[in-house]
Amino acid sequence: MGLLKDQDRDALRQEFTALTERVRIIFFAQALGCETCGITGQILDEIAPLSDKIELVKLNYAIDRAAVEQYAIQRIPAFAIVRLEESQNERGETEIIERDYGIRFYGVPSGYEFMSLIGAILDVSSGDSHLAPQTRALLSQVTQPTHLQVFTTPT
Amino acid sequence: MAIENPNIRADMIEVSEFPELGQRYQVYGVPLTVANEKVRFEGGAPEPYFIPQLLNQLGIASPPTEILDANAT
Repeated sequence: MGLLKDQDRDALRQEFTALTERVRIIFFAQALGCETCGITGQILDEIAPLSDKIELVKLNYAIDRAAVEQYAIQRIPAFAIVRLEESQNERGETEIIERDYGIRFYGVPSGYEFMSLIGAILDVSSGDSHLAPQTRALLSQVTQPTHLQVFTTPT
Repeated sequence: MAIENPNIRADMIEVSEFPELGQRYQVYGVPLTVANEKVRFEGGAPEPYFIPQLLNQLGIASPPTEILDANAT
């Protein structure tokens, strides 16, 4: 049985028509010792088909260690949301490169986190933070590595 | 914020699944934002207050008051 209701699916499909660039969701999980990996995977499985601009890649936290390192994944379930951009290599061929803004989700994206997930997909696709010009000017002053952790609960 | 500046990365964490993090960061209410392990910002707040406050506490940017005022309108 699906987690999303038909009307939610329709609403999301509609919302995702605003997607400009393709996004890739890289999901990390493992079968053993991860109670909430299953449900997280199921939510992502239901979201990804709602737009041809969304690609879902599923990796194993225990096996795919190079990717765990590349995306600096700390725990599971986890996923990164990156934008896919086309770029020309030196031979003039078109390559797909990932633009990783460092956005990660840990745990089941339900409740408020579900809305954060949809918002993150839209913002990563557009590359637009929708922040006010004054705020952008402030943020441009951040020159040191800065790690934000936002803690939430399901409700 | 992470989209705006490549120096910034952001984790969204469902803390009830990671009680050890709840303990480590003493998460008693949500949302709680922790920046660089040291700066804490509890609760939700509008962007014109939240982001300047957070950056200010990090000692990264101290906004002139007119920026705060302009944001507040």
